[in-house]
Amino acid sequence: MKARPTETIALRVVAAVIDLLVGLYLSAVVMRVLIPRLIFDTAPAPFATMDMLILAGSALAVLVHGLLSGASPGRFAMRLDVSKGYALTAATHLGWMLLVTTVIAGWIVTGMDPVALFSEGGLAGARRIFTALLTPEWDILGDALLAMVETIYLAFMATAIAVPFSFLLSFYSARNLMSDTIGRRVMYIVLRFLTNFSRSIEPLIWAIVFSVWVGIGPFAGMLALVVHTIASLTKQYAEQIEDVDHGPIEAITATGASRTQVIWFSVVPQCVIPFLSFTIYRWDINVRMATVIGLVGGGGIGNMLIQYQGLAQWNEVGAIVIIIAIVVWIMDVISARVREALK
Amino acid sequence: MQPLLRVENLSLTYPNGYRALKDVSFDVHRGEFLVVIGLSGSGKSTLMRTLNRLLEPTEGTITYDGRDVTHIEGEPLRKHRAQIGMIFQHFNLIRRHSVLANVLYGALSTMSALKSMTGRFTSEQRQKALRNLDIVGIADKAEQRADALSGGQQQRVAIARALMQEPSMVLADEPVASLDPATSHSVMQYLERINREHGVTVICNLHFLSLVRRYATRVIALKGGELIFEGKPEQITDEWFRTIYGDEAVEVEIR
Ligand SMILES: Nc1ncnc2c1ncn2[C@@H]1O[C@H](COP(=O)(O)OP(=O)(O)OP(=O)(O)O)[C@@H](O)[C@H]1O
Ligand SMILES: [Mg+2]
Repeated sequence: MKARPTETIALRVVAAVIDLLVGLYLSAVVMRVLIPRLIFDTAPAPFATMDMLILAGSALAVLVHGLLSGASPGRFAMRLDVSKGYALTAATHLGWMLLVTTVIAGWIVTGMDPVALFSEGGLAGARRIFTALLTPEWDILGDALLAMVETIYLAFMATAIAVPFSFLLSFYSARNLMSDTIGRRVMYIVLRFLTNFSRSIEPLIWAIVFSVWVGIGPFAGMLALVVHTIASLTKQYAEQIEDVDHGPIEAITATGASRTQVIWFSVVPQCVIPFLSFTIYRWDINVRMATVIGLVGGGGIGNMLIQYQGLAQWNEVGAIVIIIAIVVWIMDVISARVREALK
Repeated sequence: MQPLLRVENLSLTYPNGYRALKDVSFDVHRGEFLVVIGLSGSGKSTLMRTLNRLLEPTEGTITYDGRDVTHIEGEPLRKHRAQIGMIFQHFNLIRRHSVLANVLYGALSTMSALKSMTGRFTSEQRQKALRNLDIVGIADKAEQRADALSGGQQQRVAIARALMQEPSMVLADEPVASLDPATSHSVMQYLERINREHGVTVICNLHFLSLVRRYATRVIALKGGELIFEGKPEQITDEWFRTIYGDEAVEVEIR
């Protein structure tokens, strides 16, 4: 077992805050979800002053109880000492309560309904849609293939446009190249933040943003993919750059070459193959993403799918789904093969 | 005569606070073959990297060819590095590029970034690169990929790359430490040749005293970052050997 951290004030404060949140969370879940939905079977009533008092009260209760007896899930989480006996039991019970209430609340909130999954009507519906999917309507094959090609091109263009940006940015977001002056370090941090931030926004959301900006259609979808691809590739490229062998960098630097030359002649040759491999994989991923983006009006096969789904023409939907599956599978195989060959 | 290199009271403290060089002073004259010895971790590589200013000293001065280069930056720093070739234990070639390309990279400092990056090396540069490969006896390998060569051959490419800089001095950081004894001698003989025939001053880190005795014109020894010995190779007595390498050490020969 690892040694316990020493009890600094900071650790104790964090533990106390955790206790506060535990109390708050427990009472909130019980009050707003469990009691109204399980016992009264109604939507929760609007917030009243009384509710706020109860919330604050229970949060304080857990906190004070923890401070007085040492029975604190917060101390437990921060790996501080929880004295044996009553304190440990109480802290463990609080932990179990957290788990149980969360599972029950989760069940309620996600509207779990096993009855619907296996009811007569439900199963009939499933049979209907699966038969339709399995008897695809191939009349739309031509249109669907065209739309699929549009999606593949969309993914290709998004990748192609993103690559030069990512290539340039990656050198400025690689820690090993950006740690020699304060200015470079700041730039590294800013770039890392920007790419991480834009990567954490799903392309689907970017697509919605751009469809407002440039209008619904493939262009909006492509822009969404471009943003996401720049962020993802920059990160991947940069990590590759951080992994390069330092020896050649030193050797080229020692010849008196300029910084640009050093990067071009010692870093880039070590990176081209992995970069290519990442790029092909990213195109492959983008084909899948472009399909999903089509669902919100980004054009291509996804758009076609959502239209037939809206008309409840399940046989056509079946054909489209099969085409998507086959193309994605082929792309997957090809990109894996190419990447293998590049090694 | 004014020394080519004058090192005075040189100290270097790494960012983590480790003092790798302590108050080191010595001179190097034109045409010398100076060998630096010392235990692993004694600061030999640090000293090399400080001389061509891959590292910046914390204290003291380095005077090269009459110019103070201790804290220069930018263009003057690149000029300083360009006149000093460097050779490494692990060769540090660009593995995926051809042998000829690797030698040409020794001329990068004489070209604009754009011209070099678009690969527009002149035919004179190519001729010169081939001549340098010829000096180290592997002109026939010019078109091969660098990583297709054996270790000894790669080190000779590295020597050719250094020659491409038309250096007045070459720093060799354990150039033969990853080579077998026979290949070691071959590489050392090429270094000796550029020292004697081309008048290039050489500073070289070595681990084997037999090599030191065979090639050095003068020796300095580092211990814990301090310079503790300076003299002719034949002056390294058994007593000095124990001082430099510790009482437990036994000399191994490489012939
Ligand atoms: N970047 C660094 N940061 C901190 N300490 C370092 C750094 N590089 C080297 N050192 C330390 O400085 C000391 C000298 O290292 P140096 O590489 O110069 O030794 P050396 O004599 O070349 O050893 P070897 O024979 O093993 O190559 C070592 O103790 C090493 O741990
Ligand atoms: Mg070393």
